[in-house]
Amino acid sequence: MRTISKTAARLMGCVFAGGLMLGSAQAEVTVLGWPGGPEETALRAAVEAYNAKSDVAEENKVELLFFNRDGFWDKLQADLAAGSDAFDINLLATYSIGRYAPFMEPVTLSEEAKDLYGETVLSTMQFDGQQYGVPTDLSLHFMYYRKDLIDGLMGDDAAKARYKEIAQEHLGQALEPKNPDEWTWDDFAATALYFTQAVNPDSPTRYGTVLQLKNLLFNIMVWQSIPRSYGGDWMDAEGNITVDSDAFRKGLELYKILYDAGATPRDSLSYEFPEANAAFASGQVAAMLQWNAAAGDLTSADKSPAAAEVTEVIAPPAGSEGRKTHIHGLGLGLNKNAPNKEGAKAFLTWLSSKEGALTYAGAGGAPALSADAVKEIAAERPDLVKLGEYAGSYGYVMNGGASANALAVYELQAKEFTGYWSGQQDIDTALANAKAGMAELLK
Amino acid sequence: MQIAERTEWNLLATPLVAFLLLCLGFPAVVNLVYSVSDISFATLRSPTLSGFGNFAAVLSDGAFWRANWFSLRFGLLTAALECALGLFLAIFLAPLFKERSWPLAILMLPLMVAPALVGLMYRLVLHEFAGPVPHYLWQWFGNSPAFLGPNSAFWTLIVVETLQWTPFAFLLFHMAYHAIPDEVREAASIDGANAWQRLFRVELPLMLPTIAVALLIRFIDGFRVFDNVYVLTGSGAGGSTASLSIYIYEAFFKQGAIGKAVAASVLLFLASFAILYGLNMLARRKKK
Repeated sequence: MRTISKTAARLMGCVFAGGLMLGSAQAEVTVLGWPGGPEETALRAAVEAYNAKSDVAEENKVELLFFNRDGFWDKLQADLAAGSDAFDINLLATYSIGRYAPFMEPVTLSEEAKDLYGETVLSTMQFDGQQYGVPTDLSLHFMYYRKDLIDGLMGDDAAKARYKEIAQEHLGQALEPKNPDEWTWDDFAATALYFTQAVNPDSPTRYGTVLQLKNLLFNIMVWQSIPRSYGGDWMDAEGNITVDSDAFRKGLELYKILYDAGATPRDSLSYEFPEANAAFASGQVAAMLQWNAAAGDLTSADKSPAAAEVTEVIAPPAGSEGRKTHIHGLGLGLNKNAPNKEGAKAFLTWLSSKEGALTYAGAGGAPALSADAVKEIAAERPDLVKLGEYAGSYGYVMNGGASANALAVYELQAKEFTGYWSGQQDIDTALANAKAGMAELLK
Repeated sequence: MQIAERTEWNLLATPLVAFLLLCLGFPAVVNLVYSVSDISFATLRSPTLSGFGNFAAVLSDGAFWRANWFSLRFGLLTAALECALGLFLAIFLAPLFKERSWPLAILMLPLMVAPALVGLMYRLVLHEFAGPVPHYLWQWFGNSPAFLGPNSAFWTLIVVETLQWTPFAFLLFHMAYHAIPDEVREAASIDGANAWQRLFRVELPLMLPTIAVALLIRFIDGFRVFDNVYVLTGSGAGGSTASLSIYIYEAFFKQGAIGKAVAASVLLFLASFAILYGLNMLARRKKK
């Protein structure tokens, strides 16, 4: 009997001690981060540096929480909506701020933040004029192209004449080959057609480009830099939906011409990020518009032996309004139900300081820093120089692109526009359906 | 004695009933409330009743009917193909399995793979630049079909589903075929029946209940398909490969149209209940 009592007492003791430990863990600042990849590595390093600071109180030390990337945003949405207090700080993205904002609190960044990031980048974490997060990682688009192929084209008069014929036949303009840094979208299309064996049997590559056309919101983000560079926007200043503009029509038609001519793999309507990268890395594609995140793999001789050494990276081509690149950021913001709000705010303020941002960038993160700030880390991270420069010069967020229904707008456009590209509906129907749906979603 | 037995039954059934009420009954009631409410993620705990607008929105949505049509075709075709192939294998390979049972384990392997992983695997296998199938087709014939192109995606999905789930149908038929007593076959032979006559007049009629069950299970599984289709093609160009499950998922999570998504799931529940109830009645009438 005594033995049983003793065992029971020990068990009770363990449970009680466990409860105390749990309690102390809850007193810390819990950050729900983006799992896997450089973002996790960078966040771990930043947290380690922050926790090592002497002025961070024990109860304000930061601990990390990760769950799987698959369905991350859906799970986070369900957690926030349920009023979860399992984390103080959570991840957020430009296109989902409006959806999460009701369950979050605006934050005050460090005094250095404005100079450190610049207005364009800070705006990727704003909703209704308020700052909801620290912009930790920025995504935008690069034009990846094969320098060897372009050099060959530029130095061959017969090839130039053939290029001109192809451009005239497919685009109605007798275009001359140009240096990719001077490309308009028509030049890109003409180059893609020229390097397509279905159009030009002498092409050294099977396809001139690879378009990621899967019915997926991220693919619309890649594509919409075309309409934007011709002045396209989701809404005008009065809130009228302007998706049926000539700019959107131009972007849609350009992709349709390339798809129908076979300038992109016929499976492209099921392609997203990895498929497009695999196509480019095979050495059978001449140029591709793709996320900056692909740069590491596509320019690595180990990962892309067939293309890496001849691949160059520049900003996307220009339209009548110049060069544009969609930008969106990942960031960290404050959960409305955070158990340790003060500790969380202190960490976010530090993360948005020069010290915090450079620590994060130095460990593999991709914050878009201003030219002055990035100098200090340019030797270690030359890619961040281009990231900051392109974001500042060409970056844009569509009017409504951070609203509560921004994701739904992308989804709608993905469905309607892939319907057009696959030949299931005409362009007028696709634009009319998109306009009607967006009017409902953005009202 | 009867009272004691009844008390015992009630006691034993209570945990099950409580479990069902908690795990099925509560969500079902919440779903019903949401389906007639104006609801969003921000108002999950305070939905506003709004009548049958969500049902009207679903029923007047062309995408809902297209998703139904996709699921119906997908369910019927995959069920028919899997059962036909499974039946053929069960009968054709019966002598082999009578001698050795280990090949059975190999045939069962596809069942061990999660459907989402199968989708992921075929994304790789069918990719023009990374996949072995297009690679060899290009090498041998100088061309390869676009397996996931807008005109062929549906059929590719059918093949992928059939390859994974035929072993399930095969297993049921294998058991049913071997459960037929040898005496019955011998008696038919003595009566002069040849192999074909034994198959069509004796074996298949005896296997009919199993065939019906297999068809039903495979149809239900095919109709509600989500994982491998979602991983392979998403909802497809213009929504061309959106099954009903994908339609509901996208309405709920992607569009934030919770009321509409729940209304669609309630309609699916009612339709499923009506069909199963009808089948049950039919089976009872046949028994009588």
